[in-house]
Amino acid sequence: MLKMHNVRKSYRTDTIETHALRDFSLEVNEGEFVSVTGPSGSGKTTFLNIAGLLETPTGGQYLLDGQDVSDLNDRDRSRLRNEKIGFIFQGFNLIPDLDLFDNIDVPLRYRGFNAKERKKRIEKVLEQVGLSARARHLPAQLSGGQQQRVAIARALAGEPRFLLADEPTGNLDSLMARQVMELLEFINEWGTTIVMVTHDPDLARRAHRNIQIVDGQVADLRLQSALGEAVTA
Amino acid sequence: MLELRPILSALWRHKISALLIAVQLGLTLAIVGNATVVIQERIERIARPTGVAVTDIVTAQFMPIAKNYDRLEAFRLDLDMIRQLPGVAAATVSRAPLTGGGSGTGLYTAPNQEIGATGGAQFWGDEHLIDALGMKLVAGRAFTPNDITEASFSSGWRPNMAIVTQQLADKLFANGEALGQSIYFSGEDNPIEIVGIVERNLGPWPNSHNAGSTVFFPAVMDTQWFDYVVRAEPGQREAVAKLLEEKLAERDPQRVVAVNLLEDKLDRYYAGDNTMIQVLSGVVSMLTFIVALGIVGLTVFWITQRQKQIGVRRALGASRSAISRYFLLENLMIATTGIVLGTAAAQIFNRFLASEFEQPALPLSTTAICALILFGISLAAALVPALRAANISPAMATRSV
Ligand SMILES: Nc1ncnc2c1ncn2[C@@H]1O[C@H](COP(=O)(O)OP(=O)(O)O)[C@@H](O)[C@H]1O
Ligand SMILES: [Mg+2]
Repeated sequence: MLKMHNVRKSYRTDTIETHALRDFSLEVNEGEFVSVTGPSGSGKTTFLNIAGLLETPTGGQYLLDGQDVSDLNDRDRSRLRNEKIGFIFQGFNLIPDLDLFDNIDVPLRYRGFNAKERKKRIEKVLEQVGLSARARHLPAQLSGGQQQRVAIARALAGEPRFLLADEPTGNLDSLMARQVMELLEFINEWGTTIVMVTHDPDLARRAHRNIQIVDGQVADLRLQSALGEAVTA
Repeated sequence: MLELRPILSALWRHKISALLIAVQLGLTLAIVGNATVVIQERIERIARPTGVAVTDIVTAQFMPIAKNYDRLEAFRLDLDMIRQLPGVAAATVSRAPLTGGGSGTGLYTAPNQEIGATGGAQFWGDEHLIDALGMKLVAGRAFTPNDITEASFSSGWRPNMAIVTQQLADKLFANGEALGQSIYFSGEDNPIEIVGIVERNLGPWPNSHNAGSTVFFPAVMDTQWFDYVVRAEPGQREAVAKLLEEKLAERDPQRVVAVNLLEDKLDRYYAGDNTMIQVLSGVVSMLTFIVALGIVGLTVFWITQRQKQIGVRRALGASRSAISRYFLLENLMIATTGIVLGTAAAQIFNRFLASEFEQPALPLSTTAICALILFGISLAAALVPALRAANISPAMATRSV
């Protein structure tokens, strides 16, 4: 599904060059649920951004679904993002001026679906996240957990094969976090590959596999058994 | 793929600022539209054909120092001299047209009438008049030397023939048969036969409502209100003006001579119109600039405010062009609202101006053209910010707080 080989990403400012990722190699298989942990500033978000085609790597190779995506132009990258990838953000990132229905509609419109198809999909995902009755509410009228469920619905509406979540429970209390986690697990069971960055060791442990990023590289901690110590360390 | 409805509903949540810009655009359209008709009217007025060789004519007057000056004798001697000068095509003594000074009269098609006169401007001149003014004779004949009388206002002299402009001929004789007909002064029975018709002459007051209705009588009038009208060969007017100044002073030093180019006098006559054109054009440009600035400002502000949202949209699959299109469409909606408001406001404003200040009516076509231009300016103003919005990185969705 996802294959990165020696991916590098550096940010250059006037004064310094930051190596956010260095010789970063990772493979994620179809249907996997991978959690990503690591200290703040270690490069987790950078990895997700590159995986989700939000940023381009400075060097190395990235194959998404077997396709080398390093040389794609903006149009093609946007299309791939739209069709294959769903995003869930820590801050929910719903568009405040649009009601829930229209928020979920955003990626579907970019996809070019007709109105009927869009409506069908929006109603379906709203149902899945249990917010059908709130379709015409604005995000501000919802709790954080509800907002994140809408964000998940928005990510799911296009039926992406690959779901990327950057600390999706970071802004939620533990009860809501658990609900969101259950929703993600449910989605994963239906076949969607998920990569989730989290600070919560309990949630990280619930994934099939946890990888730890330290200093822009994958720390070699493949063993499930070693997980507990790695996260708590 | 257009996304008008969600843009509209997002816009609705910012309706105050959107409406403010729309109203500003509307007011600009209302003012620009009305200013444009005035500018247009003035430009057209100034550009009207005068019927006279404006760019070749030099005028000259003198003020005698001595009392009891024999003006008619001076006319004879001066004109004999002027007609010999190099570069002079024709010369007469009359009154320069188009300068804001002259005299008017009322004419009738039947004797002894006192009401319902046809108004017109009157000139006197000799057999060189048509040639000196560079007018075009379209029917009948010019005056001949035998037709010309030397007269004065106090002498009670009445002409027995006249040349009229086509416009005056048509006004007097609607059936189009003016040539050979007689016209009369108010309450008089002395017939004045129309012997010739010239194509056009705007007369002394080009801005008056009956400018162009002009009559010429065959006389050299002994009056201080005269001008030598001298038509120079093409391109020779400056040389002729200089020569006139010299030679008129030389022939009789006991007088003050003033020489002018007719074009300068006409420019002075239209100075008010030109100022009006300049002021209104300035107002139009300034308002347009301000509204464009407002649109740039609002678009930049909204884009800055929505940076995160733009990043999110990019993350959800919006291409760069989809982002630019979003802001252009948004601008289009505001502009459309503004232009609808403005078109209505322009009409209301125009009704008011037309009734209170006799301004010309604002045709829908002018409003439409102004609206189209403002529309273009509005889009252009939004274009640069909108294109720059497309550069906002999709990583904004995950990076910013
Ligand atoms: N746009 C950027 N410009 C400069 N440095 C950046 C930028 N984005 C991230 N970085 C740096 O890259 C490193 C990795 O950041 P990030 O991937 O956000 O870490 P994490 O998500 O693990 O906290 C950090 O040192 C961060 O400061
Ligand atoms: Mg991060």
